[in-house]
Amino acid sequence: MLCQNCKKSEATTHIKRVINGEATESHLCSSCAQNSGYRDLFDDFSFNLPGIFSSFFGDTALSLGESRLDRCEKCGCCFDDIIKTGIVGCADCYDKFYTKLLPSIQRIHGKAKHSGKIPVIRKEEVTVKEKTPEEKIADLEAEMQKAVAEQNFERAAIIRDEIKKMKGEN
Amino acid sequence: MNNESNCNSVSDVVLSTRVRLARNLRKYPFPARLDRDEKKTVCSLIKDALDGENLDCIDMETLSPVEAVSLAEKHLISAEFASNGTGRSLLLSKNEDVSLMLCEEDHIRIQIIESGLSLEEAYRKADRIDSLIENRLTYAFDERIGYLTQCPTDLGTGMRASVLLHLPALSRKGAVRNLTATVAKLGLTLRGSYGEDGEILGDIYQLSNQVTLGISEKAALQNLNSIALQIVTQEKQARAVLIKDEDFMDKIFRAYGILKSAYKLTSKELTNLISYVRLGAAEGLFDIPVEKLSALNAELQPATMNTKSEVPLTRSQRDIKRAERIREALG
Repeated sequence: MLCQNCKKSEATTHIKRVINGEATESHLCSSCAQNSGYRDLFDDFSFNLPGIFSSFFGDTALSLGESRLDRCEKCGCCFDDIIKTGIVGCADCYDKFYTKLLPSIQRIHGKAKHSGKIPVIRKEEVTVKEKTPEEKIADLEAEMQKAVAEQNFERAAIIRDEIKKMKGEN
Repeated sequence: MNNESNCNSVSDVVLSTRVRLARNLRKYPFPARLDRDEKKTVCSLIKDALDGENLDCIDMETLSPVEAVSLAEKHLISAEFASNGTGRSLLLSKNEDVSLMLCEEDHIRIQIIESGLSLEEAYRKADRIDSLIENRLTYAFDERIGYLTQCPTDLGTGMRASVLLHLPALSRKGAVRNLTATVAKLGLTLRGSYGEDGEILGDIYQLSNQVTLGISEKAALQNLNSIALQIVTQEKQARAVLIKDEDFMDKIFRAYGILKSAYKLTSKELTNLISYVRLGAAEGLFDIPVEKLSALNAELQPATMNTKSEVPLTRSQRDIKRAERIREALG
């Protein structure tokens, strides 16, 4: 069987992965397996698998010739580039190709909704639209308490200043 | 069992903890689409954002290959980062517990290394550095898929946490394969380290979180911590059985004997012998701190030895020096 990534050499490495109970298998040649980080086991512990990632798209994605013309305005990356390299050009690419990328993101991560840390500035942007100033202050106070509990005093101080500013404005 | 002995017993098995955060700046394309000058600009922005942190800034272009590989041997940088320094920088704390690879696969890779099992503390340090950068620079972030990374496998928290485990007894029992399959179902990855060509040296394994999207940092760390503790318990039980095996005891003592009297030692041989002696030390057969053995093994990796030597050493010279240093350290 030929390598699923380069489709040129004989596949010699069989990789079976189980993520959230869903098994995926790949057959790679030794050079693609090595490029995917399977040889140097102690190298950075991220799962850098461009070959695997692009294999998630399958042949159908590669046949979409028109996707070459549709390029990201910021970095010039097209969807074909992402499929071929397994890496994304810039933050704007995620917006532009979001619906095309989502199925493969879900195959890697299972459910695809972020949970966890959110940059403070972003959090304001998100909450501004839906919450009253009082609710926002309450949220920030809760977050400040959490930061204090975690002994993250720098962060607590930043939040405290934000609260002060918001109270001043009302 | 009191807390202290419990903690000691964990660090017999858990050698170290690492937490890594992947971050990118909103304004710039990801590193693969940056030229040298743009990379340098990104590096200096991040360096400036952390100017109060007293981190050394190392321009990777100025390092010799040996110096770069030595940093990789100490796991402060990735092998890929060591192999190509163009436009890249490394921010490193004095005691080497904090390192930031700039313009590696992502603009920023914050890495914290702690000894023993210390996930919460390692994350706390990484999170603090992350917040400092975030106060000055705007990150690439999306409410739906979290921190945006060059490779979609890191989306979400961008956090990869790992613990380095010494599992000689479970390896002998042939239990690691099963364990690997079990932890995979729990969203974790267990794999051998220090290896080339799939060979696992020194019974060292790395347990890390696999999924970064849809699970918070806290939940991922708790999950990893609790599985690590369960593996520690299993390894301890297997060790208790193993040291009753006379042939295995003989191997431990022979390994100690070779380390104490060899004239030449390759780094691979050292790693394998140290595995036996570390187990013996943890079981109280030898009076050597387990941490000292890990430190010796790190110090005696080839490129790290070469950076400390005034003249470049041949392989054979290194093997002799390595054996000398071990004889001296083990008295």
